[in-house]
Amino acid sequence: MSKRNVLWSWFWMFLGGLYFFLPLLATFEFSLKARKGVYSFLAYERVFADPLFLRTFIFSLEMAVFTALAGILLIFPTVYWIRLKLPQLRGLIEFVSMLPFVVPAIVLVFGLIRVFSGAPFFLTNTFTGTNVLLVAAYVVLTMPYLYRSIDTGLQAIDVRTLTEAAQSLGAGWGTILFRVILPNVRVSILSGSFLAVATVMGEFTIASFLVGIRAFGPYMSLVGQNKTYESSSLAIISFALTWAFIGLIQLLNRGRVQTQIAGAH
Amino acid sequence: MSNRLIQNSSNQRDARRARPVPSSLLNWLGVLPFFLFIFLFVFLPSFSLVSGSFQDRQGNFTFQNYLDLFSPSILSAYWVTIRISLASAVGGGILGFFMAYAVTLGGLPKALRNALLTFSGVASNFAGVPLAFAFIATLGRTGMVTVLLKMAGFDLYDRGFSLYSFWGLTLTYLYFQFPLMILIITPALDGLKREWREAAENLGASSWTYWRRVALPILTPSILGAMILLFGNAFGAYATALSLTGGFINLITILIGSQIKGDVLQNTGLGYALAIGMVIVMAGAITIYYFLRRRSERWLRV
Amino acid sequence: MTYLLLSNLSKYYGNTLAVENFNLEVEQGEFVSFLGPSGCGKTTTLRMVAGFEVPDQGKILLEGEDITQLPPNQRMVGMVFQSYALFPNMSVADNVAFGLSVRKMPADQIRQRVSEILKIVQLEELQKRYPYQLSGGQQQRVALARALAIRPRVLLLDEPLSALDAKIRVELRAEIRRIQQELKITTIYVTHDQEEALSLSDRIVVMNKGRIEQIGTPFEIYNYPQTEFVASFIGQLNLIPVQVVDRERGAYRIGEQTIQIEHSQRIPLSDQPKLAIRPEEVKLGKVDGWNQLTAQVRQISFLGAIVRIWLELEGVPLLLDVFNERKLELPKVNEKVTISFPYYACWVL
Repeated sequence: MSKRNVLWSWFWMFLGGLYFFLPLLATFEFSLKARKGVYSFLAYERVFADPLFLRTFIFSLEMAVFTALAGILLIFPTVYWIRLKLPQLRGLIEFVSMLPFVVPAIVLVFGLIRVFSGAPFFLTNTFTGTNVLLVAAYVVLTMPYLYRSIDTGLQAIDVRTLTEAAQSLGAGWGTILFRVILPNVRVSILSGSFLAVATVMGEFTIASFLVGIRAFGPYMSLVGQNKTYESSSLAIISFALTWAFIGLIQLLNRGRVQTQIAGAH
Repeated sequence: MSNRLIQNSSNQRDARRARPVPSSLLNWLGVLPFFLFIFLFVFLPSFSLVSGSFQDRQGNFTFQNYLDLFSPSILSAYWVTIRISLASAVGGGILGFFMAYAVTLGGLPKALRNALLTFSGVASNFAGVPLAFAFIATLGRTGMVTVLLKMAGFDLYDRGFSLYSFWGLTLTYLYFQFPLMILIITPALDGLKREWREAAENLGASSWTYWRRVALPILTPSILGAMILLFGNAFGAYATALSLTGGFINLITILIGSQIKGDVLQNTGLGYALAIGMVIVMAGAITIYYFLRRRSERWLRV
Repeated sequence: MTYLLLSNLSKYYGNTLAVENFNLEVEQGEFVSFLGPSGCGKTTTLRMVAGFEVPDQGKILLEGEDITQLPPNQRMVGMVFQSYALFPNMSVADNVAFGLSVRKMPADQIRQRVSEILKIVQLEELQKRYPYQLSGGQQQRVALARALAIRPRVLLLDEPLSALDAKIRVELRAEIRRIQQELKITTIYVTHDQEEALSLSDRIVVMNKGRIEQIGTPFEIYNYPQTEFVASFIGQLNLIPVQVVDRERGAYRIGEQTIQIEHSQRIPLSDQPKLAIRPEEVKLGKVDGWNQLTAQVRQISFLGAIVRIWLELEGVPLLLDVFNERKLELPKVNEKVTISFPYYACWVL
């Protein structure tokens, strides 16, 4: 490896690093300036003291967890079943899992409202109904990563043999799925879930049209329109959160590169 | 590459063994919930948008909405959206490529590679509202970098730069575009076998010749495919643009958003047409991406 | 003047020794194999000749010219990789032509040369195909053609057949030798497969743990091994502990039975001297003038062309190979038999 090449490499790293860190630094610095003249965590204190913060945070967290659970409950048995019994559908499922990319969040929410706010569903008339719609929308949104993680996990184990072994020992489908197969793909499923949760937590587009400021994303936007320092501290909190989730995923995956298309934009 | 070999043989193994089992109706029942879900929450909304796009305000069938897509304001909205998506895709693609190259083949320590990949995973997910805030704090009128530059005698805003403009938004988009590029292109760079370089050198090629005639041609489908993905990513972005510019820049997504809110145009049919137009663009992008990926996978099956 | 001279080559990775004190003189047109177990340094040495590794010590001289520090793209040596390393974005013809086009040869000359060399490897009809459309054996032939197209001074092959099926391996093996002899090209061939090395080479360099154990013709390596490693690495070998009676006269004792050996001085004696003899040199029954011992039959394995008899001699296993014949009379298991072996076909380690 020539010296000149390595120099160029460092140059690009430096450039990229600069671009990565400056905004974070600037935001953090800004968030500390709430009290005039000195650096303090006043902005953070105000955010944490805001009851709306906790409420929206918990709401989004709940929705995120439901999304992960619903998504896994929907996708995991399906991918398993297809691997086992209907391998010819594999291409179709892969295509379907890419659909959410073709239908971006803004278009999806548009269509969802049109279909489900009126007859015969009337989902948007109640909080519960709206929440259900929200979770459904998020499952669609996070489907690509959930599918990819689960598929990767199942790829690595011999699904057929495990199933047959369990069946020969008298296990039913539920037992096979949740006591035999699931533990072996735990890591993949967990990492897919974390990705889903991270996405949902910060999501704005769908949340703003369906539930408004009940969710964390729209709450952040609202704060941003009024209070500049708090918005910066929220940005830092949000970033730290994402970092925590993704860091966990990396820990779980250790070296495998996970790609995600269409984050929460 | 060995991973792919294991993948393929695992698929083949599962498939081979599964063939003797008859696809009875019971089997199809197992995938029913999933397809039902897709039907309800992906196809229904999409079809409803399609049907809505062909209706006028009275509910009669019309092509007018699609014709209205060609009105100057809408066309300029499309053009702006395309330009931003292109700019951030190419910019993010190039920066991302060189950074990915730096940590894979560029002779940097392994720890840096892992750090970069982790960070890219975070950054590609860090978009929307908080990203807009972050950039306002950096390059806004009183942003840290703006102030620093002003102290050094270089007034950004006097010179005509504004974060709340086309280039400002592009710059902001880059923040999640180029990490995405890094994540997508790193496996492709890893897939460049060391032996190809050695074989090329052995046959007399210089480093540049190797890149020009072997490595870049092999990587091109992946790079192009990644950029297409980046393009689609930016094209469908909504939250970042809204938070940063408040709808000032007329992107297609912003237009659709105002349609849902019921502002301005008050022509829902047009809104639906816009949405369908967007779906068509994304579908086109992903088709090209798939085609390119097939191409490179086929070559690399060696 | 030696065509290719490897002089005192050494290479270390950190504190680990990869190759040490490697000395070899290769004549023009010679086929030399580097043979040894994984990690013995054979590939490292080959890569030093190709220029992909730089030796820490020593020199490489090709036709008198010191190429030790020369970058790989200026050495004019052709390399065939274990994984073929064909450029996936180019057709067969373009792959083969690559080295020529880099040298800016005119297009029609390139075309001619490509056809010529593809004819030699018998792949002319596949010119327009792409690597992913070829079988492993075909890909390897293209790799060979590509390396040969530039008329290299030396041909280097790094375990070229190990990724192929057994049957293809044997076919291609003969092909490689035929082409090498036809073109009279100096060749170094790295392998861990003794059959390949023995059947292809003019000379073999047996390596172990970074050092050369022995250099010799296949016959020499097999019949006159100079170290215990070479003796036991190549072919099957019986090793039977003996007691020294009289080393000068080559008299030894196995249990209560005595034997006589001719080459007692050849290999330095270790603390625990052993009698080394190949299974095919041991015969059933009494042969006049040969050493005769009594052993007990434990197991008989039919291997097709060979029948392998497992005996026990003074508590130690001994293998005996006989060629399969229709009217072969074999002893029964647990039968006590006499075996004989000549005094010149064995040695003591």
